[in-house]
Amino acid sequence: MRYYKEGKPKGRFIGSTERYDIYPGIYRKKEERQEPEPHRKTEQEFVFSYGPASGMLESSEIDFYTPGEIINHVDVDYDVRMRKIGITGLTPADALLRIERINGFHAASHAICFLSAVEDAMGVSPPDNVLKNRILQIESERIRSNLLVVERMAQAAGFGVPVNQLSLLREKVSRIIGKHSGHRYFYGSNSLGGTVFEISSLAEEIGEVSDEFRDIFRSLLVSKLFINRLQNNGINMESDSIGPAARASGIMHDARMDSPDLPYGELDFKPVIKEESDAFGRFMVRSMEIGQSSDLIKKVKISNDELSENQVGSVNGKGMARIESPAGDIFYGIELKDGIISAIDHIFPSVKNLENFRKSMRGNIFTDFHFNWESYGIWISELGVVLE
Amino acid sequence: MLGYYFLMPFAVSILISIFHRKAGYISLAVSSIIFFIFAFTSFTYLSSFIAISSMVWIFASIFSISYGKKYGRWLAPLFSLTVFGMATILVSTTYIQFISGWEVMSMASYAIIGLNRKDSSPPFIFMGFSELSTIFIIAGAAISFSLTGTISIVSTTSMIPMVLFTLGALVKMGMVPFMISEWLPIAHGNAPANASAILSGTMTLMGVYFIVRMMFLSPLNPVFGIILITIGVISVIFASLFAYVSDSPKMLAGFSTVENNGAILAAIGFYMIADTPLLMEFALATIVIFALSHSLSKSLIFAGIGASGMESFHGTESSGDPMLKAGMFMGTASLSGLFPTIGGLGTWMILEMFFMGALEPGFYGIVSIAAGSAMALGEGFAAAAMMKVLKFTSMGKMKDGIDPMEKRTVYYMGVILVALFAASPFFIYSNLIGGIPSVLVFNGFTIQSMYSSTDFGLISPDYVLSILVSFFLVWIIVFGRPKGRIVPTWNNGRESFEPYNSYAYSNNIRLMLRKILRTDTGHMSQRIAMADVFWIFTLRVTGMYKKIAKFFTLGIMNSSIRWYMVYMIVAFVFVLLFAKYMG
Amino acid sequence: MNINFWFLKGIFKGIKTEKFPKKAPLDIAPWSTALVGKGNVDCPVEAIKDGKWNFEKCIFCRRCLPEYAPNGDTAIYKVSGNDRTFKKSFHLFPLDSGACGACNVELHNIAAPQYDMTRLGIFFTNTPRHADAIVIMGVWTEGMGKVLERALEAMPGPKLVIAMGACAISGGIIGTGVTDKFNADVVIGGCPPNPYTILSALMKARGE
Repeated sequence: MRYYKEGKPKGRFIGSTERYDIYPGIYRKKEERQEPEPHRKTEQEFVFSYGPASGMLESSEIDFYTPGEIINHVDVDYDVRMRKIGITGLTPADALLRIERINGFHAASHAICFLSAVEDAMGVSPPDNVLKNRILQIESERIRSNLLVVERMAQAAGFGVPVNQLSLLREKVSRIIGKHSGHRYFYGSNSLGGTVFEISSLAEEIGEVSDEFRDIFRSLLVSKLFINRLQNNGINMESDSIGPAARASGIMHDARMDSPDLPYGELDFKPVIKEESDAFGRFMVRSMEIGQSSDLIKKVKISNDELSENQVGSVNGKGMARIESPAGDIFYGIELKDGIISAIDHIFPSVKNLENFRKSMRGNIFTDFHFNWESYGIWISELGVVLE
Repeated sequence: MLGYYFLMPFAVSILISIFHRKAGYISLAVSSIIFFIFAFTSFTYLSSFIAISSMVWIFASIFSISYGKKYGRWLAPLFSLTVFGMATILVSTTYIQFISGWEVMSMASYAIIGLNRKDSSPPFIFMGFSELSTIFIIAGAAISFSLTGTISIVSTTSMIPMVLFTLGALVKMGMVPFMISEWLPIAHGNAPANASAILSGTMTLMGVYFIVRMMFLSPLNPVFGIILITIGVISVIFASLFAYVSDSPKMLAGFSTVENNGAILAAIGFYMIADTPLLMEFALATIVIFALSHSLSKSLIFAGIGASGMESFHGTESSGDPMLKAGMFMGTASLSGLFPTIGGLGTWMILEMFFMGALEPGFYGIVSIAAGSAMALGEGFAAAAMMKVLKFTSMGKMKDGIDPMEKRTVYYMGVILVALFAASPFFIYSNLIGGIPSVLVFNGFTIQSMYSSTDFGLISPDYVLSILVSFFLVWIIVFGRPKGRIVPTWNNGRESFEPYNSYAYSNNIRLMLRKILRTDTGHMSQRIAMADVFWIFTLRVTGMYKKIAKFFTLGIMNSSIRWYMVYMIVAFVFVLLFAKYMG
Repeated sequence: MNINFWFLKGIFKGIKTEKFPKKAPLDIAPWSTALVGKGNVDCPVEAIKDGKWNFEKCIFCRRCLPEYAPNGDTAIYKVSGNDRTFKKSFHLFPLDSGACGACNVELHNIAAPQYDMTRLGIFFTNTPRHADAIVIMGVWTEGMGKVLERALEAMPGPKLVIAMGACAISGGIIGTGVTDKFNADVVIGGCPPNPYTILSALMKARGE
């Protein structure tokens, strides 16, 4: 392993896999944590059940414990759509097809993180061009993901014109990605040590989208009715938050800063930080990161050749990698045995985000729910999945 | 004096009920029927109160025949005794008779609440407030005696006796400032349902009755009228609000009683400020119609709650029975002020009255429009509160074990509410009755609110009813019975779901008005409790009262039931003898 | 002045909706269209067998390159039952049975201005009570299987069942397909299907 070593915890806690607790560059055996006390239903409360088939983007059973109006507790149950995906016993290439389909909307982040871990296990390092190309993929994906979050938030307010303009932009990004990588969701665009992401004129095309978005964003910022729905909604004060939710609370947690798997260091990257800590803060961070990602894409200077290289590495080993997905840290840990994956560890951002979302829902009312939910950008497909 | 002989059957029924519960209730019903007939022997404005009360007693005692078996042997005699006290008030010609009746009524109902108590404060609270009202009434009687030189209830030249009697009655009616919110609902809510029905339906009516009676005998002052309107309106708003957030059906109905009494009081106040005979007549009609609808519907609600066995909202359960449902529907519709029930007419009249008053120039106009608007707001809340009662007591799945006698009583009371609505043009003053023959609404079929000889508004109950019925029939004839495929409820794909509970039903208001209701959302809202400013004060006073009462109880009486009963019987005999002697 | 004239903003943006289906689709990502080629390849989902490509299984993983390549044809769907009742108004109830999120977003995309499903009389609904068709996405999962049963029970007739994406049709590479347990009137191929494919399939499903 290049970057990870077993040791005493240092730095921020990123999350726990089945076997390990992960810190930046450090892993250790998982320590048992006390489960928070389950919510005891009071006499006045009843459970308002929402979902699984309720018109939300994905299926999950959401239970609101409420004595009327005010929400005391939220449970989100995704067992109902639990998928079991076999990874162990496969070659990395076969496993990749399944990893991409854990969360298709963030397929590039998952695939790249997984591949980085595999490459770490094999002890190979892809050429610089490939790594930079991966940054381009992740940043393009981030733009689309953030556009969806902002669009869904506007949708919760029934804000027709911006919703349509944002989905217009999102579809544009999907088409750009489709044109450059051959697939609208980066399926099959990544392989061990290589990528298929043609980058000529990418920066210009993405730049146009980003400029167009900036106009919508500015107009949204002066739409009082919309902003009022977000401010003080879902205040997130957890110190171990990740991704945009952390950065919206003034916490500088970003794998682009503290994970060396991708060469962000060369791009003079500084995270967007906001202090609001509510849904409005997350809206701001998500929106501003669209411009930032577009700038990053402009800064990356690579040529189109040398985008794949078949390196021969060892067939046994252990590797770990972590990258910043649009919603926060993704982590994969791989153990290879004779070229076959024998164990897999993972941390998906939706787990932490869901936990923080549930905490931030206390005291809210149901009409706040959609704004808050969308602001975290939680994907049930990342939660309702077991990797075996 | 004639009226006094009509009390005798009540006395007999008390004796019967000591030995045989069922026979006692039956004889009480018969006595009430006789008393009802008595109301028509000399039909004056005041005798309409006798008619109203005896109608309630008839139904309440029929209801009790089956319901009463759930409670001990003392309930029946005490129930009869309470009715006897009230009947005494209604036929009293002297203050002594009146005060005796008042005390017998209070004592007996105190004992009912005391026998059925779950904790010790409700009977104490009830007794405390009863005694407070008695003090006012005795003072009023004393002053009247000093002015007129007679203990007979005759007209005086001073307002003071009326003011004092009104204060006494206000306490009994649970008005502001005598504990707007809790004492009456808690006391009434802690009695067995049949007793609650007569407490809420007729005991508060006694207060109304006596204020009206004194009003006819005293000089009127508009300032006092405005004070009564203010008290009435504040009571309406707060009581309907408290009713809406109340989480016990009987407490809710108790608050609704305060609300209705507030409306009646405001109408009385309006009578005092009204300056034309037409308006005054309309106000008097409003008082009677509203009192009629309140007394009957309220006893229906209590009976219905008792019959459904839902004496507290059990979260989400609810019992259902077609007859009970229909009866409760009509009762709650009446208390919500909806057509085609007599309550709809009462609400229409009271709002109409205030809006006519708004045409008055100057200050009275402003008072009227403000009172009318506030009243409309209160009625809105009341409708929401009644929906809650209906939904959480009787709209559930079919449940066995509802006594047929009880549910029939509830149902027929509901039918009577509609029947009274239909018959209202025939017993309201003929001055208010008219018609528009040009549109086929014949003379005698509309009730008109008149402002200086022009129509202000009008309503034709029978036409409303017939349009409703014919619309329904046409619908059935044209579309037939609805056809369809019955599928399980779609609940987001879940198999089962937890229905909305009664607490959540009104929690929006509880949270919105947390300053007034002192809603405690707790830390991160684990629990939500409620206590209002007035209640905290009352509890303190009750605590003191309890201490004093404890001293007397330990010193003079032991707490055995028998001693209370002996006290009751002695009081009863004393009243009989004394009142007869004085009469 | 902090006033937003969103309505005017909308108008000044101009019409972004394409002329599809009257005109050919623009801008298609190649790996969501039909594959053509010759020979046998090592296909992880056995979508290519005996030189024949089966869109119901294909997950567009590019393993068959260079023997097989996409030809740009978006018509990869099969309609075995259609109903002309839905010609003017077609309400879809989306049901995520176990999807990765890509199908969900692609279905959502047909509401984007480029496609604008409402001009074609296609709408989404949040309850099966108002639905003409149920669109199932993702692999079969036990919990959602029951939900699907309840939803079908709750839907008024006539109704169509649409399976969208390789997972729902055949299970793709992830699991079991929903069509193994429920009969689908319409299957829409792709991983995930292209919005153009979805639109054409929906129009075909109502007899156009």
